[in-house]
Amino acid sequence: MNMANKNDKSRRRFLQKLGIAGASTVAGSALLLQGCSDSNQASGNKVKVLTADNKLVEVDVAHLKPGDKIQDLSYLQKRGREGIPGKKFVMVVDLAKCKNARKCMKACQSAHQLKPEMHHLNVLEMEDPVKKTSYWMPKTCQHCDNPPCVSVCPVDATFKRQDGIVLIDNERCIGCRFCVAACPYSARTFNWTEPKNSDKMADVTYDMELNVPQKKGTVTKCAFSADQLRYGKLPYCVSACPNGVYYFGDQNEDLVTNGTTKKTVRLSHLLEENAAYTLMPELGTKPSVYYLPPRESEG
Amino acid sequence: MKNNKRYKLIILFCLCFLAVANVNAQSDWQVPAKDNENLSPFLFDDDMILEGRVAYENSCTSCHGTPGQDDFTPMSPPPGDPAAEQFQAQSDGSLFYKIKMGRASMPKFEDAFADDELWNIVAYIRSFNENYKQQLPNMEGVEIPVYAMKLSFDQNVDKLVVKVLAEELPQAEVSVSAYVMGTFGKHLLGKAQTNELGIAYVDVDPALPGDAEGKVNVLVKATKEFARAKVQQDLAIAMPTEIHSAIEGRHIWSTDRMAPIWLKITFFVSVFGVWFALLFIVFGLRNIKRAREES
Repeated sequence: MNMANKNDKSRRRFLQKLGIAGASTVAGSALLLQGCSDSNQASGNKVKVLTADNKLVEVDVAHLKPGDKIQDLSYLQKRGREGIPGKKFVMVVDLAKCKNARKCMKACQSAHQLKPEMHHLNVLEMEDPVKKTSYWMPKTCQHCDNPPCVSVCPVDATFKRQDGIVLIDNERCIGCRFCVAACPYSARTFNWTEPKNSDKMADVTYDMELNVPQKKGTVTKCAFSADQLRYGKLPYCVSACPNGVYYFGDQNEDLVTNGTTKKTVRLSHLLEENAAYTLMPELGTKPSVYYLPPRESEG
Repeated sequence: MKNNKRYKLIILFCLCFLAVANVNAQSDWQVPAKDNENLSPFLFDDDMILEGRVAYENSCTSCHGTPGQDDFTPMSPPPGDPAAEQFQAQSDGSLFYKIKMGRASMPKFEDAFADDELWNIVAYIRSFNENYKQQLPNMEGVEIPVYAMKLSFDQNVDKLVVKVLAEELPQAEVSVSAYVMGTFGKHLLGKAQTNELGIAYVDVDPALPGDAEGKVNVLVKATKEFARAKVQQDLAIAMPTEIHSAIEGRHIWSTDRMAPIWLKITFFVSVFGVWFALLFIVFGLRNIKRAREES
């Protein structure tokens, strides 16, 4: 009797389990089918999108899944390494206009998850010992065409792209700081401690064009806001300046746009007419950042 | 004691003067009467407000802050909040003129924005005023012609030739402005007026770099009173330029991915060759040793 009961129970239990499994399979596949038919339903609105291999394709809006790729680390790594074809980004800093508003530094630090003492961009007070005057000089990574930092990196973590931008991949960086020592412009900084808001950024996928999330024990530097340039936007610092200090643009087009007034001028004319110079030209690093001299009367 | 009082008076006087000077600096901005009465030929709609918002956020936020938040940059004279009463009390024409012409630390946006884009910004500023009612110019009996434009390039004189037509008839005295579209903004090539044949000529710098075929993206706008038109197309007006990648060729900082195949093969063959020679000698010596032990 006991045995029979047990058998009966186990059979019943088996049948119950079978029933639940069957029902959930049917329900699950129905849901899946529903999902498939939903995603296949075209809305009629077509948009043109650029694929990862630079092909323009037309797809239906309903088939787009925004952010899928932006979450994909390998896609971001590939995109960050390759850069934007046909461009050569340059910056022009007009020292005569800088009034030390430091809005550029603030915008940069909030975009790149930097603590107040860490700088991708720093506004320095420069003193002229002969004229006994001083002026403000925003100093950022010079994105050299002959970058000493890239030569010394033992793990290919820092590299130069086809659009002229020198980037760093903190997934590869081992924190040796050879690049910090090699850079004649002291443009690089090191994450000695846990970065700002590291707990909040823990789940964010790493994008080397923004260099966020920052990682403790790695080097970080100005990226010319490569993530913004991809969408035709000016870098964070350039658009934050209230005084019209920064011009940014493409050397191949010979056009640079002022971040404040949005006026676009010829790069070659701007450099020639204002006696532009680069920092430490004798080192042969060939910087992509040009400076227009400060006015003598201002100090 | 008396001296002290005098100093206090002087300081008080200075402070009053500064405050008055500050207020004066703001109200001092005289707008010509004609410009003050200028009215927008467009009805401020949501599209204009949206476009104005983009332009505002790109070009104005850094000083004027977000409208309604009073977070403008402390400057002298203060830039002010566009949503504030003092700002909204001005006429549309006055706002338009001030944005267009600029003064002191307020940049001149004449070259950066065309008139219709400036009206977009005015529309955006007005969207913060609930009591605002747009005053429209008297359009009764005004017929607005629809312009068509034909662009070509005269290589002999390096000039962009713009022909403005309305219903196949050439239009005279139309203001034409031509721009080259850059990655981050548009560069003004020049402004001109059409002649009796409806043709305007704009100078093009022959040194301007284009793509491999010398093409650049050109935007041309034509305006006359309430009529306006714009056309954007790729035109071969610039110098053909071959674009080089910044990492082309080999450098001391090149990565191993850029090393040519012959170098990689030579490297590996010589490294393995040396190892092979060394091992050959070592094994040879071992064999000799073994042979001696066996004998």
